[in-house]
Amino acid sequence: MDTLVNVAHGLGVALQPVNLIYCFIGVFIGTLVGVLPGIGPISAMSLLLPITLSGTPESGIIMMAGIYYGSMYGGSTTSILVNIPGEAASVVTCIDGHQMAKQGRAGPALGISAFGSFFAGTFALIALMLVAPKLASVAIAFGPAEYFSLMVLGLVVLTFLTQGSMAKALLMACIGVVLGVVGLDSITAQPRLTFGRIELIDGIGLVPVVMGLFGVAEVLLNTEQVIKRDVINTKITHLLPSREDWKASAGPMSRGTVLGFFLGTLPGGGAVISSFASYALEKRLSKTPERFGHGAIEGVAGPEAANNAAAGGAFIPLMTLGIPPNVVMALLLGAFVIHGLQPGPLMITQNPGLFWGIVASMYIGNLMLLVLNLPMIGMWVQLLKLPYNILFPLIILFTIIGVYCSSNNVFDVYVMIAFGVIGYFMRKLGYEPAPLVLAFVLGPMLENNLRKSLILSQGDLMTFVQRPISAICLAFAFVLLVAPLLPALRKKRELVALDEEV
Amino acid sequence: MVRRSRLTIAVAAIGMLISAAAGAQEYPTKPITLIVPWPAGGSTDISMRAIAESASKVLGQPIAIDNKAGGSGTVGPATMAAGAKPDGYTIAQIPITVFRLPLMQEVSWNPDKDFTYIVHLTGYTFGVTTSAESPFKTWKDVVDYAKQNPGKVTYATPGAGTSLHIGMEQIASMAGIKLTQVPFKGGAETNAAVLGQHTMLQADSTGWRPLVDAGKLRLLMVWTAARSPNYPDVPTLKELGYPMVYDSPFGIAGPKGMDPKIVAKLHDAFKKALEDPAVIATLAKFDMVPSYKSTEDYKRFVVEVTESERKVVDKLGLAKKTN
Repeated sequence: MDTLVNVAHGLGVALQPVNLIYCFIGVFIGTLVGVLPGIGPISAMSLLLPITLSGTPESGIIMMAGIYYGSMYGGSTTSILVNIPGEAASVVTCIDGHQMAKQGRAGPALGISAFGSFFAGTFALIALMLVAPKLASVAIAFGPAEYFSLMVLGLVVLTFLTQGSMAKALLMACIGVVLGVVGLDSITAQPRLTFGRIELIDGIGLVPVVMGLFGVAEVLLNTEQVIKRDVINTKITHLLPSREDWKASAGPMSRGTVLGFFLGTLPGGGAVISSFASYALEKRLSKTPERFGHGAIEGVAGPEAANNAAAGGAFIPLMTLGIPPNVVMALLLGAFVIHGLQPGPLMITQNPGLFWGIVASMYIGNLMLLVLNLPMIGMWVQLLKLPYNILFPLIILFTIIGVYCSSNNVFDVYVMIAFGVIGYFMRKLGYEPAPLVLAFVLGPMLENNLRKSLILSQGDLMTFVQRPISAICLAFAFVLLVAPLLPALRKKRELVALDEEV
Repeated sequence: MVRRSRLTIAVAAIGMLISAAAGAQEYPTKPITLIVPWPAGGSTDISMRAIAESASKVLGQPIAIDNKAGGSGTVGPATMAAGAKPDGYTIAQIPITVFRLPLMQEVSWNPDKDFTYIVHLTGYTFGVTTSAESPFKTWKDVVDYAKQNPGKVTYATPGAGTSLHIGMEQIASMAGIKLTQVPFKGGAETNAAVLGQHTMLQADSTGWRPLVDAGKLRLLMVWTAARSPNYPDVPTLKELGYPMVYDSPFGIAGPKGMDPKIVAKLHDAFKKALEDPAVIATLAKFDMVPSYKSTEDYKRFVVEVTESERKVVDKLGLAKKTN
């Protein structure tokens, strides 16, 4: 009953005209950045963060959230039509989606991905409503020791699922932790690793690092390749999937939704991993696995549902524990904090209007996306005709403006350019930026909680093993670390961790 | 030609003078950032937001709060002292640790030289709480337990060297007990720590109030001179036999070398804010009362506080070792 009252309260907040407008702007921009390769939700959200500061916290967060799940929708459109993934989570949609388009079945492919996304988004929100408040009451059981172990697990999970060498991923995570502790120490206010530079006293900013490693590096990398742009010129007829399509997709969609939701809640999980996992699962369960890669609708429905469900699930650790499970959520955490809110165990009880308002707005946003995406496919294709020699310089320009605006500091622009070049060489040499960024965000929290746990246990390291939640997290982390050494499991990992950036 | 260029220079010089004067008059022309060195949602944060909101109406420009928590509330002011321009667009709340920490350890700032003090605002009500499920019903229970289990009693503070840390250590030395401090970053974190019973006690300002009112936390003592009207049954430090009062008064400052005109403008706006009934009401929620001091009085006060802090820190043996 309480939940119903809360949902009604949330709808009241979300249906305020100003919040409806922000929600629409959010999902619209989200769809746009999802469609445009190179610009992902991360750069769009960091660009727009300062703009949200003028409104109420609700409007700001509603808009930021809209960009995130909107981009999950938009990303599939270009994957299907032109075989360019709009963002990382829709890479896997290219495989069968574009094949379907080539066979003249772009309509059902686009349709099933839009409906699959809507279905998964709805389920994720219902789960969020039912589970999040309960998780919040459990959340205060997390003390410094538990947080420490949870963050260790999150970092290990991400490195485990990142493509390529695990040693390289771990190396990136270590560098991220070191970069994260630059600045004044959070317990005793001593400057560390600042080399006497006052610019570094405040630490290295998240926005320039992320924009450099992802945005700038992506553009640098793309300039090397001749991008194939064979836009399907055949007219897209019958948009809606047929009855057979629905029948084939129902199972993959449901499985993808559940899988995506749980992988999304895990720290370090998220949309990218869940879409790959769903594709791998459907291929294994299928009676005709040979159709995959040649236009199987299951290969579109499952992953598209999974990445949207993951986007919803990712809100749980943020809203109940104050822990961002991925970079996008870390940016959202920043938005909360700048608006004067501290996501954590107490947020749902202290700020019910905000929490339920955001959840309700996400439902409305999902509806808007469905309406927005189906009729506007024609427009998206037009946008793609913008030549890359105009698009890429524009992306660079906007990242520079974005970084400068976020801090009013030219030093941050240099930091971004430096990380852009570093990111370029990292990709070339097979080092993934994702573990570095996550470790960079979690590193200071990891250190702070480690030190607090040791003060509480009077220096006894056994505290991490004696506390059950902490012990379970560390045990999982240990298994994942040792797993690559065992050949059978290594095979499985390679299957799950396909190339993120095809 | 020569005359003409002289004229140009003269015109340019006059122009620059006018624009310089206009610059001071026009201040503020863009939003001001107020650094609050505590996490969002605590008592300092919420009260500073209320004060800033009211002051921004006087200044005609929004004041954006930037929560830069850590280092017992010194990371924010230290960052400002190190990098911000003294143009009046970056100011910070100055907690007492800005004066106290330099007496205890090497720090990157000098409280006498690195700040332009603007106006003194208010002080805190501190208290010690425990979880409602804890066996500690009164402060005496804590002392009895700590006598039998030295160092086993843990307490969460908003940072090492804060008044809560120093105060608890003073209490412990008077009571002849040993307590273990666990430094967090601010009220939102210490609330969660004591609520989840990760620490046995919480020593913090009135951010615990909603939880005490909700019956989830038990308030064991307050550190004000008299009992709080909101909690008439809770004893003060003095009543418990510790002749001390802690209220950690605070104000705001900017980086060194600010234009006195800009300082005066900020001073006037924040003074007005302290008289705003809405601000007084918000402060009262946290058992805080306005305590105005002018720019000159605030400067003198800084010198006095530093001296009295030096004595306390010396007495507790926490003073910085001089070579």
